[in-house]
Amino acid sequence: MSRVPGAALAPSRGLAAGGVLALLVLVEIVGRLGLAGPGWPPLTDVFGYVAKPSAQQLLGRALTATATAALAGFLLGGVVALLVAVLSALVPATGPGLERLAAVVHAVPLIALGPLLITTAGREATPTLVAALAAGFAVFVAATSALGSANDAQRDVFTVLGAGRASTLLRLQLPAGLPLIVDGLTLAAPAAVLGAVIGEWFGARRGIGVLLVSSMQNVQTDQLWAAALTAAAISLLAYVLLVALRGAVNRRFQ
Amino acid sequence: MSIDALSASRRVPVAQEGTARPSPARLLTRSLGRVLSRYWTVAAFVVAWQLWSWLTGYNQIVVPPPAMVFGDVLGNIGAYLPDLGWTLAMSAGGLVAGMALGTMIAVVVWSSRIVSGMMTPVALVMRSVPVVAMIPVLARVFGYGWFTVLVITTVVSFFPAFVLVGSRLRAAPQATSDLMAVLGASRSTVLRLLLLPHAVPGLLVAFRLTAPTAVLAAMLAEYLMGGRGLGTLFAQSVSFHEVGRAWGAALVATVVSVACFVAARAVERRGTVRFS
Repeated sequence: MSRVPGAALAPSRGLAAGGVLALLVLVEIVGRLGLAGPGWPPLTDVFGYVAKPSAQQLLGRALTATATAALAGFLLGGVVALLVAVLSALVPATGPGLERLAAVVHAVPLIALGPLLITTAGREATPTLVAALAAGFAVFVAATSALGSANDAQRDVFTVLGAGRASTLLRLQLPAGLPLIVDGLTLAAPAAVLGAVIGEWFGARRGIGVLLVSSMQNVQTDQLWAAALTAAAISLLAYVLLVALRGAVNRRFQ
Repeated sequence: MSIDALSASRRVPVAQEGTARPSPARLLTRSLGRVLSRYWTVAAFVVAWQLWSWLTGYNQIVVPPPAMVFGDVLGNIGAYLPDLGWTLAMSAGGLVAGMALGTMIAVVVWSSRIVSGMMTPVALVMRSVPVVAMIPVLARVFGYGWFTVLVITTVVSFFPAFVLVGSRLRAAPQATSDLMAVLGASRSTVLRLLLLPHAVPGLLVAFRLTAPTAVLAAMLAEYLMGGRGLGTLFAQSVSFHEVGRAWGAALVATVVSVACFVAARAVERRGTVRFS
């Protein structure tokens, strides 16, 4: 069964590798020729910088801080969002209000939240909390629509058999909605990384975000690009991991 | 999903016409009840803020009470409007440019198998790159100025339009495509008459997703780089310890962001009805 799409995939894999390679070469050429000014270094210079032990130590420390904050925020935001979605499924009267609150909290711009969190929750906790908010919204939106995704016929069967809201939720809505919830998690993972980085802009002590802003201000272009590439790499890694998880869940539940 | 919601909302008034007309008092209580059921959490939020500023006894410099913040916004609206207008202009400019660029490149990708094969992985990589976190890099490349803010809002608006328009272009209704093929329509005619109208709902979804993000990105960029706009107003008020003004800027930014979301959703619903 998988042979036919596999055969079709082979040439497109070649094109895909070509596309990524073309992008890298383009970035290198623009930097080498200085087409975009001194702010755009050749990619090889950035990799040369990353190869230095001192740079690796600096990036490694920042990476650990950011990854920890992003992971903690992802878990915290995901769990809270799922609990709130379950609450609004069990007590439907709270649903519209909770959805509005989520939309409003999501709309509060991060520049407003950051300093607020710094004063109330402290420097260490701010990146985690911003990551949790960013990830939690994605999970909440996915989870509320996932819990509503069971079809009417199935619902009728549960009602006729006398199932309560809790057992309908546990035995019908959650299993039926799992693929959609995992879709939400796929969106939430890069959001958590982004949230952690932005949370660090407001005065954290270490992390990729701190490194980004301080290298921007001190015109350390190689370091700036290395930090940006690191942020992109962890974001991509989180995304790829969750896409793999989504594949596994879809095979099991569909 | 939105289409279901639409048809449901259209069905409601039809059902009501059959019943007796409700009295104005009942209409009022019903609409009040609806507002309450939707916004009780927002009201509870403001109450909690007030209680929090009383109970913790923080100095007003740390946590200003709601009255002080609302008072500053309403009393000195003139101090906010120019920056607000600037930020909105930057967001709107970037939004239009980014969505136009996204649509154009989606059409180019549709038209060529090779470009499509090359662009798809690049788009995947770019989509998971945290673009807003790249503001420092873009500021370094394009300089500290309004042009960079415009570049950032453009980049932020690009990907949703590119991805969603692209997927609509590939998912055209088979029967209509067959008909056009039988009638001997050229590729550009198919694109103009069938695919582009078919892609409009995708573009509308992209608009709803992007509009609040573009405003947020503009403000973050202004916060980091200075210049003009709400983000700069906020940064300056924080550094001069004008707490009421700072929280006021945050409040205005929140309201604008919610309003953008609501307006974009309304545009999407209207457009979806028109184009599907």
